[in-house]
Amino acid sequence: MRMAEGRGAPLVVYVVDDDASIRDSLALMLGLGGYATRLFADAESFLERFEPAWTGCVVADLRLPGLSGVELQARVRERGSAIPFIVITAHGDVAAARTAFRAQAVDFIEKPFDESQLRAAIDTAFALERQRVEASEMRRADAARLSRLTSREREVLEHSVKGLHAKEIAQLLGISPRTVEVHRARVMEKLEVRNIAELVRFAVAAER
Amino acid sequence: MKLLRYLRDAAVFVPCYLLLDWVSYIHPLGAFNITPWNPQPALAIVWMMLAGLAHAPTVFATIVLADALIRDIPATSGVGILAALLLTSGYAAIAWGLATLLRPRPNLHTLRQLTLFVAVVAAGTALIAAAFVGLLQLAGALEARTALTGWLRFWVGDAVGVLVTAPLLLAATDPERRRGLRALVARGETYAQIVLVLAALWLIFAALSDPSHHFYLLFPPLIWIAIRSGLAGATVAIAVVQIGVVLGIHHRSLQTLPIIELQALVAALTLTALYLGVIVEERARALEGLKQSLRLAAAGEMAGAIAHEVNQPLTALANYGRAGQMLLQAGRTAEAAQVIERILAEARRAAEVVRRLRDFFRQGTTHLEQVPVAALLEAVRRIGAQAQANCGICVTLKAEPGLPDVLVDRLQIELVLRNLITNAAEAVAGLGGGGEIAVTADRHDERHLRIVVTDTGPGIPDVSRARLFEPFVSGKSSGMGLGLAVSRAIAEAHGGSLEARAGTHGEFHLVLPFHAHG
Repeated sequence: MRMAEGRGAPLVVYVVDDDASIRDSLALMLGLGGYATRLFADAESFLERFEPAWTGCVVADLRLPGLSGVELQARVRERGSAIPFIVITAHGDVAAARTAFRAQAVDFIEKPFDESQLRAAIDTAFALERQRVEASEMRRADAARLSRLTSREREVLEHSVKGLHAKEIAQLLGISPRTVEVHRARVMEKLEVRNIAELVRFAVAAER
Repeated sequence: MKLLRYLRDAAVFVPCYLLLDWVSYIHPLGAFNITPWNPQPALAIVWMMLAGLAHAPTVFATIVLADALIRDIPATSGVGILAALLLTSGYAAIAWGLATLLRPRPNLHTLRQLTLFVAVVAAGTALIAAAFVGLLQLAGALEARTALTGWLRFWVGDAVGVLVTAPLLLAATDPERRRGLRALVARGETYAQIVLVLAALWLIFAALSDPSHHFYLLFPPLIWIAIRSGLAGATVAIAVVQIGVVLGIHHRSLQTLPIIELQALVAALTLTALYLGVIVEERARALEGLKQSLRLAAAGEMAGAIAHEVNQPLTALANYGRAGQMLLQAGRTAEAAQVIERILAEARRAAEVVRRLRDFFRQGTTHLEQVPVAALLEAVRRIGAQAQANCGICVTLKAEPGLPDVLVDRLQIELVLRNLITNAAEAVAGLGGGGEIAVTADRHDERHLRIVVTDTGPGIPDVSRARLFEPFVSGKSSGMGLGLAVSRAIAEAHGGSLEARAGTHGEFHLVLPFHAHG
């Protein structure tokens, strides 16, 4: 199953379409293709259940009762999720396509579509999602490592990253340069970096 | 064969020309007998226009013959021959000019054709008159002091003759125009019009003192005729007037000057009637074309809506098909059979939509079904949500509880609602944010539902409200302005109505029939 590939985070295709036949047929086809799916008849019921931790992609019809697919995308972004969107429509609507792409939809597919077309879009979305998940996992690990530092060690880290020498840091913090060296060694050990250059790179990444 | 046809044509033309010349030979001036009404040049011009300039020699010979027979000018007179040559080449030039300009069919059916015709005839006859009078003066046949009068007489006589007669001749030779002429005979109104024209002529020449003072009496009946019967009526009517005027002149034995004046008035009347007739016909043609394009536009919008409807089952169909394929490849035939069941259901759904489209194109009929008001409002909500997404406009819905179902074609009414809401959204969008659209549904009367779409836009000015539903009238810079015309047509086809209310905001009332129970 593809869902297993996301290093623990399951990748699911969330289908939002008001047409029961389309929901049913998509679930069947995608399920047979090895994708996990979850179905919603409209944007509201999707938002009700939605959690920002969801990973995978959303395949939403443009025209829905209530919120449109593009609006749904905006709401999901407001909730702090970057889950990729694929917008499908039975109207060859250029204006809607433009709005969808401006809101960074992965793809805009006209009904009726080929299975290969949809799968290509979903696979692109999943690739993006995997990168996103990996990046956020790395960030999480970094944050965990950072949290292991004592407040003194954190001070030493901040000053080191600014490019100050041990002596200068010692003066600023009112401790001996020798103690600064010890703190710095412990910081590098806790953050699993080998030299000052890596330390700086880590700090810059953590700030983002 | 060619020669035979040439001779046959000539055998028709020559007597006709002689007859016209003889009939119109009144009040001649000077040795060369300049008359105030000359219909025969029209015959020569139209003949050369339609049959070709190869007939110019016949025209020349006929003019010489006519001079000899009617005006007693011997065929051996040098000036007479020269004058005939001059006239022939002048008429031939006009014929050539008209034939070239009035392509492909010289039947004066457009304002452009008519204007070209009038301009060429007026300028051409003025030049011919000048050359003719000049020639006579050089030959000493006309006194210098009568030169200007002679020129004016000749010009007015020829110009009026051609303007009055040529349209009639052109109409008689054009199959479509001939049908128009025949249709006149079948109408009772035509006879009333003839009576009125004759009465006006009688008043002008028999009952009242100075004919030219009362010439205006002819304008109302001619305007009536031109408006009701177009160019066909106008051409016949001015011919009748011209004959009446000539008979009147005869009857009253008028002097030269009032005759020119009268002929100038006939020219003015002729131009008025011809232009009016052409404008009326152009308008009728435009309306006809419009009806056609309206039907096409309605069909086009329907097709767009139906394309959406047919795309849904088609999408499901493709998905199920692919799923069935995968199941069969995996050998899961029992499940594949179930999927095929669903494929068939989707195919039926698509077929139903297509059948409706075919019905619409075949007879423009509507597929009436019992639709709950809630379903229509659902459509409004969907359309409104889109407007909201595109322009950030707030759409509110309110319905009276317990409304009965309506009997409508759901697709078509959705189309109307879409039009109304899109229009409202566009009106509100002009405000620059913060606009609202409200849609309410209530009872119009016992048997009708009323859906009111109001917006906080600037409303519709009285002037444009009257024309709002006319096709191609659009408040928008983009678009054809067919939306409201199509919408109203659809509402009326349902036995309902669509109206715009005046006010400081936009308001449209759509009335639809309830489904009658029992």
